[in-house]
Amino acid sequence: MQTKILIVIPAFNEEKNISIVIEDLKTNVPGCDILVVNDCSLDNTSNVAKTKAGVRVVDLPCNLGIGGAVQTGFKYAQRNDYDYVVQVDGDGQHLAEEVPKLITEMQKYNCDMVIGSRFLDIESFKTTNIRRMGIKMFYLIYRLLIKIKVTDGTSGFRGYNKRSIAFLANNYPDDYPEPEAVILLNVNGLIIREVGVRMRERIHGRSSITPIKSLYYMTKVVMSIFFSYLRTRW
Amino acid sequence: MPDQSHFLSVQILGIVFSVFLSSTVFFLVKNKRIQEKYSILWFLISGFVLIISVFRDFMEWFSNFIGIYYAPSALFAILISCAYMLLLNTSISISTLKKQNKNLIQEMGLLKLKVEELEKKLRESEEKLSI
Repeated sequence: MQTKILIVIPAFNEEKNISIVIEDLKTNVPGCDILVVNDCSLDNTSNVAKTKAGVRVVDLPCNLGIGGAVQTGFKYAQRNDYDYVVQVDGDGQHLAEEVPKLITEMQKYNCDMVIGSRFLDIESFKTTNIRRMGIKMFYLIYRLLIKIKVTDGTSGFRGYNKRSIAFLANNYPDDYPEPEAVILLNVNGLIIREVGVRMRERIHGRSSITPIKSLYYMTKVVMSIFFSYLRTRW
Repeated sequence: MPDQSHFLSVQILGIVFSVFLSSTVFFLVKNKRIQEKYSILWFLISGFVLIISVFRDFMEWFSNFIGIYYAPSALFAILISCAYMLLLNTSISISTLKKQNKNLIQEMGLLKLKVEELEKKLRESEEKLSI
């Protein structure tokens, strides 16, 4: 039996990037199904994605944020019996040619989630100082709480297997889900690994996290991480 | 010793407020603008306001007990705590609603995709039949 792989692309106002992302995936990983979760974009994202042959598009009727959009992908994957899900951002910073790396890692080590990290290997990646500081902080929190090394806890380039898909379809955090999901999976006995990947700087548009939002972001995520950790102890 | 007339006016204010609050809640429930289950806390609070407004001795005793020398201040302290409780209750309801809302939005998105795919299949098979 062939392994079924679903690529989930959460997209909010990505009409300029989405077709490049899809073309990139279709060329580099032709065996995979592609699901675009359009999180109620205000632009033409949905129609642009729908013009691509073989791409399925879920149009959410209200904006849920990245967490709710990605979870829709998990639900779809679970119901349609996919073996693996790979989450790829709609802004084009993740490279399709790196997708097989994530799948191979999961097959080789039988781990439940694999994170594509910008910092694990030698290649450096330009990112803002404040973000780097945040990532470093997550690294320390992870080492302290769950005693594993995760160098890129905010990376949205991730692979999931059946076990983590089934779990996350029902329990995925809302606002800024990536760092929290690491703790959530770990405390629920699922295994996480990291693999070094290259990434591109975003082609159009800016990151959803502006400097002003950074403080709220860190507070919210640290709180969520703390409570996720606590829930399984009590 | 506080002025007695001040004391009385706060009492009257409390009673009026309580009657106004409970009748408002009553009519909101009657007209189905609030569910019964959410009205319970409101009725309890307005009942409590009524009791402490009518029985001034209770307020005297209570304010002495917690160390507030001016009894009407204790009244406001209690009312504010009640308001906090109601707000907390609202936050809980909002969180529940948000979760349900999220699930509905996701289901709706997935179902829309399914309907579109089924419609496409139907069209294709109809076209085949007509040939």
